[in-house]
Amino acid sequence: MMMMRTAIRIVALIGALLTTGLVMSEDGEETTTPYFQSRALNVPILAGWEDQSGEDFAQFHLAEAEATIRAAIAPQDDIIAAVGADLNDAFGIEVGQPIYQDKVNLADGTWSVLVFDYGEETTASVMARLAGGGTVVISFVERDPAARTALLTVAQADDALDDPTPEIAFAIESLTGMSPSDLSRAESIRLPSGEWTVYAGASMSAMGMVFGNDSYVALQEGAPGNLAALAEAYNRTLLGFFITPDSSHYLALGMAVVFVILGALVGSLFWRERGLRKDLALLEQLAGEEP
Amino acid sequence: MKSLPMDLRKDTSPMPRLLRVLTVITVLGFAGTLALGLKVAGADIQQGEIQRIFYIHMPSFFGAFTAFGLTLIGGIIYLARKNETWDRIALAGVEVGLAFSLINLLTGSIWARPIWNTWWTWDPRLTSAAIMCLTYAAYLMLRAGIDDPGKRRAFMSVYGILAFVTVLITLFIIRIVPETIHPVIVGASPQNAQGGFEATSGVVIALAPSLLLWLTLMPITIIWHRVRLEARIEAMNQLKLQALSE
Repeated sequence: MMMMRTAIRIVALIGALLTTGLVMSEDGEETTTPYFQSRALNVPILAGWEDQSGEDFAQFHLAEAEATIRAAIAPQDDIIAAVGADLNDAFGIEVGQPIYQDKVNLADGTWSVLVFDYGEETTASVMARLAGGGTVVISFVERDPAARTALLTVAQADDALDDPTPEIAFAIESLTGMSPSDLSRAESIRLPSGEWTVYAGASMSAMGMVFGNDSYVALQEGAPGNLAALAEAYNRTLLGFFITPDSSHYLALGMAVVFVILGALVGSLFWRERGLRKDLALLEQLAGEEP
Repeated sequence: MKSLPMDLRKDTSPMPRLLRVLTVITVLGFAGTLALGLKVAGADIQQGEIQRIFYIHMPSFFGAFTAFGLTLIGGIIYLARKNETWDRIALAGVEVGLAFSLINLLTGSIWARPIWNTWWTWDPRLTSAAIMCLTYAAYLMLRAGIDDPGKRRAFMSVYGILAFVTVLITLFIIRIVPETIHPVIVGASPQNAQGGFEATSGVVIALAPSLLLWLTLMPITIIWHRVRLEARIEAMNQLKLQALSE
């Protein structure tokens, strides 16, 4: 009787835990940082930016800067084709030749860095890398007639240096035709993503931050005064973005191993039980045959 | 050989009602905890689906802990009382514990492949778990090699008691050796840990029933079946010897 009561208590406890699990699972996941999540794409949600995300892409728009940051996985496995398709689909931009193109090695792979300039109004800064059978495209598109903004990642020439100045100078020369000497160094500013070095001139400003072995550089012609906010938002997207790996086949393998071992354990009990019954039947037969 | 021994006849009697109930609860509980871990709990966004193996990986270790713990207790009581039932419990504990610890070891290895980018590394926790498995595998081999039943039971009782040290080392090494990369779920992970995740309410609610099941019902139910089987095997062996001697 007492054993039955114990068994009933165990059943009740397991039942209660299962029910609680079902109820709590409906409350959703606990997250500390708000993230856009799709099947594989995980992108930090930018506070203060209008969320224009769709089912399988993250997109945030800042109206006063006429700037949009977008992250998507394009199906093409050719980076230039993927970038072209994504910019065309999202912004109606016909992609031409980039005014800047390079590659950087980050922790999650080799990224292509591309900057496109479409005249007075539109610039597009893109980071893209191959992922699975497609291409991850993270783009910053700015359409402010009063500004021309480019955001790019440059591998440090000297990774022992904790100063982005050489890469800022390189970006200025590559993208604007100006000389770094046209700008004067302002004081460093502290943003959530890190310590940024700022250069300012009459018609242009530039800022950069070292992270890992790369410098994250932001350039802006014109003077809307929002470069720090744009650079911070783009960096937050770049550094916070990640892809959920498809590890489902490993789970299937793991479950197969569990069932094989448990099956072998339980099966061995049945197999030995069967052997025992055969032996018993044989002995009973022998006992019956004895005179 | 006019009649079968009492032991054999007694042990071929129908399964006790409590064991039947426990067997049904264990099977249903296993199905339920699988559903919680594989379907109800949310997917880990950094590790993907493979994180769900954790709902078996960790509980299976604690199932092995219970089973090897019964081997320890069985060994101690056998040495004190010379009651063969406790030796059977010790043997059953090793067989079940070894199966569970193999599940723990292999599921951990499969998890490590996508997360650590390797099937195996000589990390203190992994190494101690492998030594634990080998120690208990050696128990079964040694046991099979000793013919005298009395000596076999006494020797294996001592072995089973000493072997439990490997279980304790495996359990606590992660908290003692800071160089491990094996994550800790409850409490702070070691500095070098790779692939950990937070024990959010979703994880805990999927984990708690699984842990309870593997820690108690699964080892106890299977060990009980195995002990009954071993009693019948021993009785059968006696009967065979009796038949041969007549």
